Amino acid sequence: MIRVAKAPPYLAIQDAGRTRFRAAGVPRGGAMDLFAMRAANLIVGNQADSAVLEWALGGGSLSFLSALSFALVGASARATIGGKTVAPCTITRAAAGEQLVIEQFLTGRFLYVAVSGGFDVPPLLGSRSNYLPGHFGGLEGRLLKTGDELPVGTARSSPAEGFHCAAELMPRYDNETVHITRGPQADLFSDDAFRVLSESTHRVSSASDRTGYKVDGPSVGASPGSLPSEAACPGAIQVPGDGHPIILMADAPTVGGYPKIAVVSEADIPIVAQRRPGETLRFEIITIEQSQKALRRRAADLNTIAQLAAGAASARLLHM
Amino acid sequence: MGARVQPLGDSAITIELGSERSPELLREVHAAAAQIRLAGLDEIEDVVPAYLALSVFYDPLRSSFSEIAERVLEILSARDSVSAAEDPRHHVIPVRYDGVDLESVAAATKLTAEQVIELHTARTYTVDLLGFVPGWAYLSELDQRLQIARRPQPRPRVARGSVAIAATQTGIYPLDTPGGWHIIGNTNTALFDPSRDPPSLLKAGDTVRFERVA
Repeated sequence: MIRVAKAPPYLAIQDAGRTRFRAAGVPRGGAMDLFAMRAANLIVGNQADSAVLEWALGGGSLSFLSALSFALVGASARATIGGKTVAPCTITRAAAGEQLVIEQFLTGRFLYVAVSGGFDVPPLLGSRSNYLPGHFGGLEGRLLKTGDELPVGTARSSPAEGFHCAAELMPRYDNETVHITRGPQADLFSDDAFRVLSESTHRVSSASDRTGYKVDGPSVGASPGSLPSEAACPGAIQVPGDGHPIILMADAPTVGGYPKIAVVSEADIPIVAQRRPGETLRFEIITIEQSQKALRRRAADLNTIAQLAAGAASARLLHM
Repeated sequence: MGARVQPLGDSAITIELGSERSPELLREVHAAAAQIRLAGLDEIEDVVPAYLALSVFYDPLRSSFSEIAERVLEILSARDSVSAAEDPRHHVIPVRYDGVDLESVAAATKLTAEQVIELHTARTYTVDLLGFVPGWAYLSELDQRLQIARRPQPRPRVARGSVAIAATQTGIYPLDTPGGWHIIGNTNTALFDPSRDPPSLLKAGDTVRFERVA
């Protein structure tokens, strides 16, 4: 069990989200940075899609009521456990009664806290993730607050002490370039629109949240405005009438009427998710084949992390 | 059929079946969606029908874009057994016509509140699709005399169960959410329950009638 000793402004339970209920209007939701969430889980020996804490907007602290292994992946922040510095992307042991303190973020927007065993709230529609606009999932459908006690599941393996995930296996979060593929309504936009999209610098607007990130920068020009609604997805770049693109994120509605000029490569969605308001992005168009290849590379990197973490765990067993 | 298949990112494809919105095309989209679900391909995780197109969400680690596009088109070309959406159901929804906008709708449509209620309850509506928020069904088509544009300023919070109209459609707010439609009544019927599977009372292709209760 873990108690929220001091909740940051945003703290929620998330996993990989709901993937089979879009026809009922249920968005995928889940972690904004799926890669960081999965890496955090694998480092502590969990299944990749176990429930974690998604942490944003400021500092706070957690109390471990029992001894547990945990890992912090995603945004970088100064963190301590029992007063000692916690390294990112590293399995760390917390003794019963110790407090994990996370301070202001240095870079990035969402930090994932995975604990061995995962957070064990009741699943709804195949996921434990909190869908805040619908008031369901996570703990009682709401953000976590100070004093909440969070149940933790049973760890499936004895995690490796000291395992650290190398930076080469993580997305390059400092990379400004984000790859995109042509969207279903790409043909409705002129060559000029694509030139503006791929040759300008786009700044993440303060109007950005789990539903979508507006980007400030040059307008991509006239958009046909609203069309008959059709399916949308996280990463879709939709263009409302004013020509200023919006990148849909995890909690975006399942359908929408704005034309989708392009879609962010899934391999690069974590890079977008971790951009703060005011930070910049550039878009580079690639083919769907290139994009899916990049995604397979990310999946292979996650496999490598899982194997290295498991290897470190069994090496530890041999030395016992 | 002249279907146009395009990627919607790495994990979905959109298959456009036509370019003009019509009840016939919508039925065709629902039938195609049913056919794909029925085929039960392992790599397909979700099918989302809409007005002109349907989208198929799949696992890109199991199938590439060109592989899934080919498989889906193959399923759709073998158009025989299923001709309609999967067993559409008819729902009767009891409504108290005491919505906060009933009088303003009556004024805007130059009808009496009583006539607004009569026209709203007289029709059988079809669920075009679900979206906006979980369990929200776009219901068509509203009597022409009731068609007015949505409110210029959406309300920050509309209570769940609010029955509302805007443009050519009517709908029921399944959750407390912001909303810009005109609220003419309220229902106790639960539209969405995440602890149920399926979670939504209504599905695309179903029909709905509103019944006035005191």
